[in-house]
Amino acid sequence: MTTFLSLVLAGVSVGAVYALVALGLNVTFWTTKTLNFGHGSLMMFCAMLMVYFASQGLVLALAAVLSLLVIAAFGIFIERFTVRPALKTNNSMGWVVSTLGFGIVLQGVAAKLFGSQAVAFPSILFDSEDFVTIFGLHVSLQYLVVLGLSVFLVVVLEAFLRLTRWGQAVRAVSHDPELGRVNGMPVNAIIVGSFVLSALLGGAAGLLVSQIGGTVDPAFGFNLVLFGFVAAVVGGMGSSVGALVGGIALGVLSKLIGGYVASAAEQPVAFAILMLMLALRPNGLLAQAEATKA
Amino acid sequence: MLELREVKVSYGAVEAVRGVSLIAKPGTTTAILGANGAGKSSLLRTISGVAPLKGGSIFLNNQDVSKIPAEKRARLGLAHAMEGRRLFRQLTVEENLRLAWSFGTQKTPQPAAIEDIYARFPILKEKSAVQAGYLSGGQQQMVILSCATIRDPSFLLLDEPSLGLAPIIVTQIYEFITSYARRSGATVIIAEQMANLALRVSDRGYVLRRGKFVLEGESRKLLADGVANSLSASYL
Repeated sequence: MTTFLSLVLAGVSVGAVYALVALGLNVTFWTTKTLNFGHGSLMMFCAMLMVYFASQGLVLALAAVLSLLVIAAFGIFIERFTVRPALKTNNSMGWVVSTLGFGIVLQGVAAKLFGSQAVAFPSILFDSEDFVTIFGLHVSLQYLVVLGLSVFLVVVLEAFLRLTRWGQAVRAVSHDPELGRVNGMPVNAIIVGSFVLSALLGGAAGLLVSQIGGTVDPAFGFNLVLFGFVAAVVGGMGSSVGALVGGIALGVLSKLIGGYVASAAEQPVAFAILMLMLALRPNGLLAQAEATKA
Repeated sequence: MLELREVKVSYGAVEAVRGVSLIAKPGTTTAILGANGAGKSSLLRTISGVAPLKGGSIFLNNQDVSKIPAEKRARLGLAHAMEGRRLFRQLTVEENLRLAWSFGTQKTPQPAAIEDIYARFPILKEKSAVQAGYLSGGQQQMVILSCATIRDPSFLLLDEPSLGLAPIIVTQIYEFITSYARRSGATVIIAEQMANLALRVSDRGYVLRRGKFVLEGESRKLLADGVANSLSASYL
């Protein structure tokens, strides 16, 4: 029973990270119906950059903020040079290749700059040794922080989307950018903003995962994005609550499989879930149905 | 005042509008008449900035806006009710209205502006919480017009407001348009195929054919001359 509960807890926390990744993917999907397939490299680069800044003697908080700023700039770059040109032609899928390409290049750059070996990630908030006891279980404080932060971000994003005029504009722009323009919405600024926000979410997720795992290397990120993608699709592409539910469900399931069957089975199970989901409920658990009337 | 000087629009090799000039004064309504493919929509789309201007220039209150992007023109007080049931389908009726208001000129406080729309189109109050995509064609057209007028524009472009609607709805919609034109003092431009209808509510009329004005004059006179009837034979 204790094993079961601690696996569930670990799953919830890892799932919260998947949720953050899924959220990051969602944000650009809201505005442009595109996904940044280089998202994982942003996560990795943010973490490696932070390790680098910290090794130069910067205060950890400052190092984190600085690396997030760099990642935000990457967000602007990605929108301007890998997505916007591809979207100029209707129905172009060029962004799939260009965002993925950007991710691979960034991975290479990281290997060149910081080496391809895994490096130790400093403890920002808590040491991996810090525990609290809940229901007689030792729960890592890091796990709780990650979970709390993910839930907090989901709440903030949902509130922004539903309650502010800018949030509504984001939903509107994804649907009909031209109509948004005619209504006076600064469509380009909204789109660039979504890529910056997405990059920041990716960077934050990168820092959190490295904090849990303890190390980071240039190849890190690609697997996480796959899991984040599965979480986003299972939850319903574009839904923040869906991302959280999908992420946690996926995290718990894969940890249970990993614990009771074999850790090598985690990934196949994740994709089996994805395929099952696409077959049974293609819109995901919580996606809003499109309002169309013939 | 809205002024067009030798406006040209083309899509690749296809010339949709081939040098069109007009002046529309505040408080007046201008009808642009023409058949499908005459270039009415292209003309309105280039005025609002969503179709590229290939030649000539566009002035709003003597300011050259030819190179200004659509969203900035909108903020200068231009509203465009586009053809093709263009509204935010996944937002509710009220969300559509609020959103249009919040990116508009905000001359009237939001609650009053929304109440005013509901008073004019009571059915929209009933459907206020329904996603706009689920409304009937006529109700969607009401939302589209309401979203354009709730922004309190000084320039209002209406693209075929009567298209595909039952006659009784057309009457309702045209009453709404004339009422807005009268009380707002805005410059209103209506593109229409139904020439009689548009000439009755407008001050001046222009007939567009293959991207050029082939006839223009006071709407009253065009009506009296039976232009609308002969139009259907010769021009539309």
